[in-house]
Amino acid sequence: MKTDQGYQHRLNELEAKIGRARLDPVVVCERAAGLLAGRIGCRVDEAHTHLRQLAAEQDRDVHEVAADALAALEARGVTPPAQLRTAADALTRHHRTPSPRPDPLPQPDPVPPTREWTEIVQQVLDALPGRRTLVAPERDPDGLIVDYRFVAVSSSVVDLSGRRREDLLGRRVSEVYPSIVDGPVWAAWRDALADRQPREVGPVPYVSSDDDSPTGVTVTVHVQPLGDGLLNSWVRHDEQTRLAERMAHTERLGNLGWGEWDLVTDTTVWSDELYRIYERDPADGPMPREESEALVLPDDDGVRKQAAVAFGRGETADLLYRIRVNGRIKHLRAVVDAVRDAGGRPLKIYGILQDVTARESSRVKLAQVERQLREHQESLAIEHRLAAQLQQIVLPIPDAPIDLPGIRVAVRYLPAERASRVGGDWYHAAVARDGSVVLAVGDVAGHGVQAAATMAQLRHTLTALTVTTTTHPAELLSNLNELLYAGDAPDGTATAVILRFDPATRQLRWAQAGHPAPLHTRAGVTTELARPYGPLLGALPDPGYDTAGITIEHDDVVVIYTDGLVEHRSHSLAEGLVPVVARLNRFSAEEQPASLAGLLAELHTANPDDDTCILAARCLERRHG
Amino acid sequence: MQTVSIEAKPGGVLDVVLSGEIDFTNAAHIVDVVREAIAGGCPETVRVDLAAVTFLDSSGLGVLIRAMKAAAAVDAAFRVEHPTEKVFDQLQMTGLLAPFGIAETGG
Repeated sequence: MKTDQGYQHRLNELEAKIGRARLDPVVVCERAAGLLAGRIGCRVDEAHTHLRQLAAEQDRDVHEVAADALAALEARGVTPPAQLRTAADALTRHHRTPSPRPDPLPQPDPVPPTREWTEIVQQVLDALPGRRTLVAPERDPDGLIVDYRFVAVSSSVVDLSGRRREDLLGRRVSEVYPSIVDGPVWAAWRDALADRQPREVGPVPYVSSDDDSPTGVTVTVHVQPLGDGLLNSWVRHDEQTRLAERMAHTERLGNLGWGEWDLVTDTTVWSDELYRIYERDPADGPMPREESEALVLPDDDGVRKQAAVAFGRGETADLLYRIRVNGRIKHLRAVVDAVRDAGGRPLKIYGILQDVTARESSRVKLAQVERQLREHQESLAIEHRLAAQLQQIVLPIPDAPIDLPGIRVAVRYLPAERASRVGGDWYHAAVARDGSVVLAVGDVAGHGVQAAATMAQLRHTLTALTVTTTTHPAELLSNLNELLYAGDAPDGTATAVILRFDPATRQLRWAQAGHPAPLHTRAGVTTELARPYGPLLGALPDPGYDTAGITIEHDDVVVIYTDGLVEHRSHSLAEGLVPVVARLNRFSAEEQPASLAGLLAELHTANPDDDTCILAARCLERRHG
Repeated sequence: MQTVSIEAKPGGVLDVVLSGEIDFTNAAHIVDVVREAIAGGCPETVRVDLAAVTFLDSSGLGVLIRAMKAAAAVDAAFRVEHPTEKVFDQLQMTGLLAPFGIAETGG
């Protein structure tokens, strides 16, 4: 009686909850759009759009329109809840005394047990998983129980002797299982009929009238009073143990847990793994539902409501949601289904939960890394483009050699292979106001836009100085040093080598700031020219730069370069210089020297880490007249 | 991968130990760490050990120069020690041996 009322109460609560979920505006819209799409054969998003348009036309909230649409669409084919209840009520009506109910159903007249009710039980057993038997007592004229008879049997029942439903149905228990008579199960049946409480008997040894039955098997029998009979289920102990072990393995391997909520008895059962997932001590028992529901992240409410609606339709709900346990977020996949009575009402709700946090977080992490990588690559590409553009604007590289007074100059510039390393290499080759030719290459520390900007500043300053102030290499470097050391690009450093060629005397003078010395090649012999004292630009307040000089001859070639040409992580500067020197030797040894451009093209191999700028200058034949 | 460790020694010496490849990928971070230590500790001497540095690019050199400037700003002496042969060559090339207190002979 009490159990029955409790069940009704829990059922009402569940229905109310599903009803609330159905009324959730988001869910309503989803369902309306889904049904609409199915009915008219369009895409769900089109259905959404249509609903929104409709709402706009009618100047109403889209949820209201969706609710109307839903009501119209669902008007057909819905089974009224009262009708759903009828069959199950029939199951229990025999022992229910009328009780006040908010929505009283017509009370049927009490009727004695008939074939009819056992047939309904048989139908229920056929629909439910599991192996159960229903026995009804046989009484003598004094009303004393003398035997029991099998009146309904699950179709899947096979006993240990191989007996099936047809071997049991209608037969007396004393015939089939004589050892049960007056044993513990017999007593349990009698007591259950007396107090109408379910009980469990066992483990008891399994014995049947059949001599072939296996020995050493014990069973536990669950006895549940039902109508005038007793519903029994048997569990074989070896089977249970095997099953339990298998389940435990599966649970642990798959981070799977299961839980069961019996609506009839209001008992909840959790598997071991479920305790692990919820990080709860099994000694505390299953977590109250309100508590476990409070752990769900609010963002996932919608998902849960959708699932509740699906469940309400009698479907198996399969959903992904998140819970917060002890400050950590866990991703769970839940498959929720119910054991329902013949009328579709849930009797028992069971859920299988899988902790998919590891999978979810690695998926999320992967997506994050991919996004960061993409963003990083994009910003690198933008910066590379910008730096290259800047370099193009301030440093157009001439395609062909430039003829300056007494000297022919070719320049090659190759950006670093790696986009991020495009930097601030620059060159200068121009006639100064005093008629001398000033040649220079330089390398700004660092890479990217900042380096390119510093490069532009240095190059423009050098051009201005050679026109207005001086052509003396050491003085030029001092000025550039000051620009970097005290200027508005703090912490910028750069290296440079500056040459001054006097076409009248063929005198070449140079100074360097932390930069490789010029190379000089003549008749198959290449030498590294002297490196007069000179620290890199921007490091020291007033370092002072020394100058060196030689006189060059017709066809002599002087090469200045930035260290991308010779500097690699893997070898020293001197090692990097060897192939360059060898190439220059061959070039100057030839009777008919190849073009400067061809020489530079051959010297040039892109350095992955650094820009490379090379400038080669060949002394021209003196013009006479 | 630890590229910089800093330790304040008795006698007002701040030991900066760099290791690995010091280049544009980690230069900015190292500069921040070293500057903060120098400005916060006001040492009398800043000593940078390069024994474990295998490569310096121009940004790596910039780290040393900025450390030198930071030391100058608190009137601390600045010394670079134990460069490998390759790094020694680089410092020689860039004219920084004398400013870093390294003998030309490499000792």
